Amino acid sequence: MSRTTLIIGNDIKRRLRAPMATILFLIIPLAMTALIGMIFDPGSGGETKLPAIKLLLVDKDKGLAAKFLVGAFDQKEIKDMFQVTLIDEAAGEKLMKKGKASAMLIIPENFSDDLAEQKISTLEVVKNPSEEFLPGVAEEFANTMAVGFSAIVQVFADELKIIKSASKLNLEAISIAELTPFLEMARIKIIALNSYLSPLLLQLKTSTTTKPGKTAKPKGFNIFAYIMPGMLIMFLLFIIEAFMRDIQNERADGKIRRMMFSPLTTRELIAARIFSGWLMGVLICLTAMAVGTLIFSIDWGNSLLVLILVVVSCFWCAAFFAMLNAFFKNKNQAGAFAAPIILVFAAFGGSMLPLEQIPQGMRWLAKFTVNNWFITGSQEIMAGGIPHGSLIVLSVSGLFFAMVAMIALQRRLST
Amino acid sequence: MQQTILEIKNLSKSYGETIALANFSLSLKKGEVLGLLGPNGAGKTTLISILSGTLRDFTGSASFKGQDLFSDRRLKNLIGIVPQEMAFYEDLGALENLMFWGGLYDIPKKELKRRALELLAVVELSARAKEPIKKFSGGMKRRLNIAIGLVHQPELLLLDEPTVGIDVQAKVNILDIIRNIGQQGTSVVFTTHQLSEVEQICSRIAIMDKGVVLAEGTLAELIRIVGEKEIVEVSGEFSADAFSAIIRQSDGNGMEILSVTDNQAHLAFADSERIPAMMQHLFKHHLPISDLKIKSPNLEAVFLKMTGRSLRD
Ligand SMILES: Nc1ncnc2c1ncn2[C@@H]1O[C@H](COP(=O)(O)OP(=O)(O)OP(=O)(O)O)[C@@H](O)[C@H]1O
Ligand SMILES: [Mg+2]
Repeated sequence: MSRTTLIIGNDIKRRLRAPMATILFLIIPLAMTALIGMIFDPGSGGETKLPAIKLLLVDKDKGLAAKFLVGAFDQKEIKDMFQVTLIDEAAGEKLMKKGKASAMLIIPENFSDDLAEQKISTLEVVKNPSEEFLPGVAEEFANTMAVGFSAIVQVFADELKIIKSASKLNLEAISIAELTPFLEMARIKIIALNSYLSPLLLQLKTSTTTKPGKTAKPKGFNIFAYIMPGMLIMFLLFIIEAFMRDIQNERADGKIRRMMFSPLTTRELIAARIFSGWLMGVLICLTAMAVGTLIFSIDWGNSLLVLILVVVSCFWCAAFFAMLNAFFKNKNQAGAFAAPIILVFAAFGGSMLPLEQIPQGMRWLAKFTVNNWFITGSQEIMAGGIPHGSLIVLSVSGLFFAMVAMIALQRRLST
Repeated sequence: MQQTILEIKNLSKSYGETIALANFSLSLKKGEVLGLLGPNGAGKTTLISILSGTLRDFTGSASFKGQDLFSDRRLKNLIGIVPQEMAFYEDLGALENLMFWGGLYDIPKKELKRRALELLAVVELSARAKEPIKKFSGGMKRRLNIAIGLVHQPELLLLDEPTVGIDVQAKVNILDIIRNIGQQGTSVVFTTHQLSEVEQICSRIAIMDKGVVLAEGTLAELIRIVGEKEIVEVSGEFSADAFSAIIRQSDGNGMEILSVTDNQAHLAFADSERIPAMMQHLFKHHLPISDLKIKSPNLEAVFLKMTGRSLRD
C-alpha cells in the first residue's frame, strides 16, 4: 500500500510541478465553451459581437413551415446576427458567386407538406467558400433550427395536418414568427398562445424533459452550461489519455523495469497508475467546473451529485486508457490510436455537436461513449435530477475496464 | 573462507532461436567485486535481468545466502541493481529521485533520508541535490544511477555496464565508487567490455561469451592461462584468410595463434627469440603490415585466447 501511495504521490507531484500542459488542457475547453457560447448567444456572452452574417433566403415552399422559418430570422436576437435577404434561387446564386453573401439557405419545395406528413425534408445551405467562419455559423444555425423544427413538427404532427387543411384559419394572428432555434423560446411563445394550442402544451412539456439540454429552467437557459460538459469530457479524455500513456513511456525508458527490481508488484503499480490518472482527472475537472461557474455563471446543480459524476467519469477514463495501453505495443501505437478514438467519442457522444443534431440512425452509438453519459448526466443534475443511468453505466463499465486492464497489463509488464 | 552470497547454477535462457545464456554457472563470495567481462551480445544484460527478477522463462537456479533467489519477494530488498540505461525522473532532483526509488523498498523513511544524503556525498552530488536531473552532465547522471541502486543498502550490487558513454575522468570516479562499495563489505558483480576496468578494481574476473563462462579467477590466475609468453599484435591491411594462409606456411614452432580477424591478429610466443623469424616470414610473403606491438601477457591476451575475438564491436 505504501508503495502504491508513493507512486501516486510522485505522479501527482511531477504534474503539479510542470503544470503548463495541464493548465493548457484546462484553458482549451473553457475557451472553446466561451467561443461557441458567444457565437450562439451574443446577448449574454459579453460584449463581443460578430459582424452581421449576410444570409440569402430562398423560399421555394411558401407554405406554413417555411413561414415559421423565415419568421424565425425576424426574431430580435437573430436579427442582430443575420442580415437576411429574401431572394429567388437564380438571383441568389449570382450573388453567391460574386461573394456578396456568407451563405444561402434554400427552403425546398413542399417543405411544409413533407414536414406535416412526417417525411424527411432537407434544408440546403450553400456556403461561401472564401469565408471560413461566418458561413459555418449560418450552417450551424440552420442545423439547430432544423432540429428544433423536426422536434416541433413531430410533436405537433396531427395539429399541423389540421391547420394545413383548415387553411381559412387566420395564421397571422399566431405570431409564430418569433419561433427561435431554442425550444425554450418556442415554449414561451407557445405558452403565450395557450388559448389556441392549450391541448398541446402537455405534450410539448413531456417531449422537452427528454431533451434535458434544452429544458428551460426557471432561472433561464445558459448556453454555456449547455456547451461546457461536452467540451470538458472531451478534454478530460485527452488529459487522462496523456497521463496513462506514461505507462508506455516508462516501459520504453526502463523506469518500469527499475521499479520491478524492488519488491513492488505489478498489481500495485497498475493500481497506482489508474488511481493517479483518476485523481488528476478529478482535480482538473472540478477546477474547470469552478472556473465555469465563475466566468459563465454556470449552475452545475447539486454539488455532491456533480462530484460523484466527475469521480465516476474520470475513473472510467483512467480505466479505459489503462486497458488500451495494455493492448498497445508501444507509445507510437498508443499515440496513433488514442486521438482518433477520443475524436470518435467526441463526435458521436455529443461533444462536438449536440446529440440532437446527430442523425437519428447513429444516435444509438452515443450510448457507447463516456461523453454521452457525462453530458446527459451533468444536464440531468443541472435540471435537478439524479443521473442514475449515467452513474450505473459508467461505474459498471469502468470497473470492467479496470479489471481487464489489470489482467492484461500484468501480463504485459511482467515480460 | 568467506561466505558464499550468490550461487548461480546452470542458468539457461533463449529468445526464440537466440541462446542468450547456456548453462551459466557462477558463484560470488561476500565482499567480492566480480568483473563479468563479455563482448556485445554475450548475455550480460540477460543475466542481470534474470537475477533482478524482471525476466522470466529461464531454467536453472540462483540462490542468495542459501535461499532460492526467486522464492521470496522480500529478498529483493537485499539486492541493488544498476541498469545499463539511466532510468530515473529527469524532472525531479537527485534527492527526490533517491527518496522515490529507495521508497519502493522496505526501509524506514528516516533511515532512507539519512542514507540518501550520505550517498549523495559519496557520489559527489551533494551540492546539486535539489537541481532537476535534466541539467546534469552524463557523468553525473551515471553516478546518480549507481546511487539509486545503493540507496536501500543492498548486500549485493549488480551493475550493468556502469561506465558506458562517459569521459575518462568520470569513469575513474565511478570505478573508485565501486571499489569503495566492495571494501565496505557489499558484494558486487559488474559487467563491462572494458578490460582496464576489471583489471583495476575487481578481486575476481569472469570471462563470458555466447552465454557461458569461459574462464574465471583472479587476474594473476587468468594470465597464467596464457602462460609466460610474449604477445605480438600484428595490424595492417590484410584479411583474416590471407593472414591464416601465410601463417600456415611457416614452421610455427613454439607459437600460438590467439586470434585472427581482418586487419588484426594476435600471436603468442613462448620463446621471444622466435619472433624475428616469424616477422621475416610475414614480410617475405608481402603481408601489408602497418604496425607491430610486442606485449607481455595481460587480460586482453586471455580474452583473445578464450573467445577468439576482440572485445570491441
Ligand atoms: N528482448 C530480446 N529479444 C530477443 N533477443 C534478445 C533480447 N534481449 C537480448 N537478446 C539477445 O540475447 C543475446 C544476449 O543479449 P544481452 O543483451 O544479454 O547481451 P549483453 O552481453 O548485455 O550485450 P551488450 O554488451 O551489447 O549490452 C543477444 O544475442 C541478443 O541479441
Ligand atoms: Mg547489455
